[in-house]
Amino acid sequence: MGREAREMEARELRTVGAVTRRKDGLAKVTGTETYASDMELPYMLHARVLRSPYPHARVVSIDTSAAERMGAICITPDDVPDIRYNERQVSVPVKTYRDRTVLPWVVRQVGEGVAAVAARTEALAERAMRAIKVEWEELPAVFDAHKAMADDAPQIYENVLLGDAEFPIEHNVACFRQVSVGDVAVGFEEADLIVEREYQTGRVYHAQMEPKAALCRPLADGGIELWATLQSIHNTRQLLGRIFDLPLSRIRVHRSTIGGAFGSSIQMNTPVAICVALALKARKPVKLVLTREEDMYDHCKYPAEISLKYGVKRDGTIVAGELKTLVDIGAHNIQAYPLLGCMSGWFVSLYRMPHMNFEGTAVYTNKTPACAMQGYGNPDVSFAVESHMDIIAEKLDIDPIELRIKNYVGLGEEFWGQGPTVRSIIRSCGVEEMLRKGAPMIGWDERGRPEDKTGRYRRGIGVGRTFHTSGTGAAMPGEVIDYSTAMVTVNEDGSVDMSTALMCHGGGTLDACAKLVAEEMGVSFDLVGVSPASTTDTGYDVCTHATRGVYCGGGSAVKAAKSAKAVLLDFASRLIEVNPEALQIAPDPVTGEGVIFLEGAADKRITVGEVAKTAQLKGWGTAIAVESHRMVNCPPCFVTNFVEVEVDTWTGEVRVPRAVCAVDAGTVVNPDLAAGQLEGGLCRGIGQALLEDTAYDPVTGEMTCGGMYIDYKLYTAEDMAPVDDVKVFFADTYEPSGPFGAKGIGEAANNAVAAAVMNALQNALGIRFQFIPITPDMILAAIHGWACEGVLPA
Amino acid sequence: MQDIEIKVNGRPMRTTVAVDETLVDVLRQRLGVVEVKNGCGQGDCGACTVLLDGEAVNSCLTLAVQADGRQVTTTRGLGTAEDPHPLQTAFIEHGAVQCGFCSSGMILSAASLLQQNAAPTRDEIREGISGNLCRCTGYTKIVDAIDEAAKAGSSEERSAR
Ligand code: FES
Ligand code: FES
Repeated sequence: MGREAREMEARELRTVGAVTRRKDGLAKVTGTETYASDMELPYMLHARVLRSPYPHARVVSIDTSAAERMGAICITPDDVPDIRYNERQVSVPVKTYRDRTVLPWVVRQVGEGVAAVAARTEALAERAMRAIKVEWEELPAVFDAHKAMADDAPQIYENVLLGDAEFPIEHNVACFRQVSVGDVAVGFEEADLIVEREYQTGRVYHAQMEPKAALCRPLADGGIELWATLQSIHNTRQLLGRIFDLPLSRIRVHRSTIGGAFGSSIQMNTPVAICVALALKARKPVKLVLTREEDMYDHCKYPAEISLKYGVKRDGTIVAGELKTLVDIGAHNIQAYPLLGCMSGWFVSLYRMPHMNFEGTAVYTNKTPACAMQGYGNPDVSFAVESHMDIIAEKLDIDPIELRIKNYVGLGEEFWGQGPTVRSIIRSCGVEEMLRKGAPMIGWDERGRPEDKTGRYRRGIGVGRTFHTSGTGAAMPGEVIDYSTAMVTVNEDGSVDMSTALMCHGGGTLDACAKLVAEEMGVSFDLVGVSPASTTDTGYDVCTHATRGVYCGGGSAVKAAKSAKAVLLDFASRLIEVNPEALQIAPDPVTGEGVIFLEGAADKRITVGEVAKTAQLKGWGTAIAVESHRMVNCPPCFVTNFVEVEVDTWTGEVRVPRAVCAVDAGTVVNPDLAAGQLEGGLCRGIGQALLEDTAYDPVTGEMTCGGMYIDYKLYTAEDMAPVDDVKVFFADTYEPSGPFGAKGIGEAANNAVAAAVMNALQNALGIRFQFIPITPDMILAAIHGWACEGVLPA
Repeated sequence: MQDIEIKVNGRPMRTTVAVDETLVDVLRQRLGVVEVKNGCGQGDCGACTVLLDGEAVNSCLTLAVQADGRQVTTTRGLGTAEDPHPLQTAFIEHGAVQCGFCSSGMILSAASLLQQNAAPTRDEIREGISGNLCRCTGYTKIVDAIDEAAKAGSSEERSAR
């Protein structure tokens, strides 16, 4: 769309971009919102899971007789289908690695479930679970990815399934991926300067506030009904159908409000299948809610070791880049293959390189399995690349912002939204605007040089920029499935129902979709209702992940609204005798009700409600439409973070007194909620940079935090007090392929933060840290020149 | 086992509990008071915060028998959709709610803070809610919301009712 057309459309937007009260707000603050863990059914049983105390062991025997005598229903590996599955279902089957069963005979991490019980109360279930006797045969375990690849390392798997074919596992390598463009050897030959460094990121826990929960009701026809902590109801249904050999028509999965996700429920987590197996055996509803400790042993973020090399010309032009990464995925492969693909894509799409090589290796260890967490490898790649940009800028004596502007991948260039198979052309781009506008807001030119800074408290300013993809759509189908379905119905009173399997994780996705529908239909936001959703009353939606909610889910909602509107206008044209093409709809300024009118003709007006009601009475039907829709692009939502840090050189403690967060999300649908997403992402990014990680005891294989929040450490409001000065702004862009010009935001909020913090630390202290999180101890070690891993002079 | 009576949001509720049962479990599992959330059961997250005779406590660290004969106030007792408490309104207006799982406990800690200190500084607000974790918001908007509710000054009379 040309600038003029775009400006015209922007001027005309009524609902999109307006600040509105979130639809679920009152329910959430007054305590009436129902999360999966709040659900109850009559005659419901409570479940507990017996978990392995060992990081690697074979179950020799299980005796459940004592638990059964207590009246508990018990399941062991003998009672569950012998089906190997992958809990994450967003890749095409031939690219899906399957290594787990509902309950295994061999456990590969502490906390892996081997048996489960259901009883009338949770207390009874707990007692029954403790009465189960398991005979274990301990196996050697390995907790380090490098050691896991050694010849003498314990073998965690002999083979897994890739699609339906056996896939042998050697040296514990779950998968390997290489992607290259041009010839890096030639590229590095041409370079005037080559910079090579290692980086490492932490094994962060999602720490969503709601521990995972599932409630399953068996149905009379042998089917099941399920409420659970999920980001995709449809993928869950398909997977349950496969595991339990049930026709999908007999599985009904409900969308439940989720108490935070951050990627942790893209997959169908372990409690779901265990709960279903118990309910099918008990023939009664069963509810399973994880404890916080169990939840911590259920999933974490993929950590990454990265070695990065860039070759540049004297003028700062990048000619070649190479990134090699080793990812310790823990005990299960929750699709590290697409992760590695994405990491290659993030690398390719950050800065232009005629020659590039990417190699990624994912390795099994006997630890909590890693899965996607906000950013899916992007915060890791961006931390490395953005650190590198500052190093190169310093070596070439170029302003870091100018170096970035010289090399960034922007308008008209190719973007890899989900690895090498999901690509699109960039059609909207606010990169330069955000860098140029954000710099004076933080005081970039006054940041000073580290060598001139003295005294106990030292301040520094840093920048990080990157993006996230908006969904995984593309012109051609790739390895990742991506489309959404929405239904829009015009009701007989003029209100509108929007039905979709999309989720809201808290960021306002469903509100955004309702706004897009309101905009398209010409009714007020208040009159658009978001229908409760389940798999039987919505069409397929892949998953609310990959920052695809507004762009892809919203895209399908707008398409359905357009189709429903066409039916409505056809009915209206019969009633007021005007060509439907000539009719418009706009909300009545007082009632918000949609009014259908012919411009300039006062007598050619009728309300949406009148048309819908009359159509019903005359038997014409309902203005309703269902659309399944795949976006043909995956535009990047660019993001830029500037942060200021203040380091206490006596204690090594770091505060973040100021930050500027900018995002290029195209048309911003929910400006206030989007700002909230950016602030939340900032907080989690600072946590990744300075605080959060999970470590393991090399003897017991237990997490050193013991599954406790208090020892894992999360920022409290008091810790975050310094970051009271956060400025947020949006780039002025319009995405031609998006609904009313919108792109995504979600994951972008977090992706560049750690990079910005680390660059700011460098500016404060003159020390370049290569490991995150960087703790006060490490900072002190670096300041005083004590030996410490992860600290090298700049 | 012991018979207890707890007044939940003014309504007397009777049940029989084991002496070691926590208040959060009894509220959620026996009395259906599910607006009180269980985020950790370890006293670390504050999701289970309720007002016990007006004072904010972690209900996962409180035994149900300790609440016998006492008043428990949850976020439902502060206000309703038709008549929300000013704190509840401020939370919505200021974007202090995302997933909402922390909101119930957060609002009660805020209410308790404002009862003791009607005009807290931002730092005092942060200290007052430091026992409540929120993974979504980064806290700034929560502090804004409490700040605004305090400034509106209406919290005292409302929470007294
Ligand atoms: S549930 Fe009580 S403090 Fe977390
Ligand atoms: S809003 Fe999600 S944890 Fe606070």
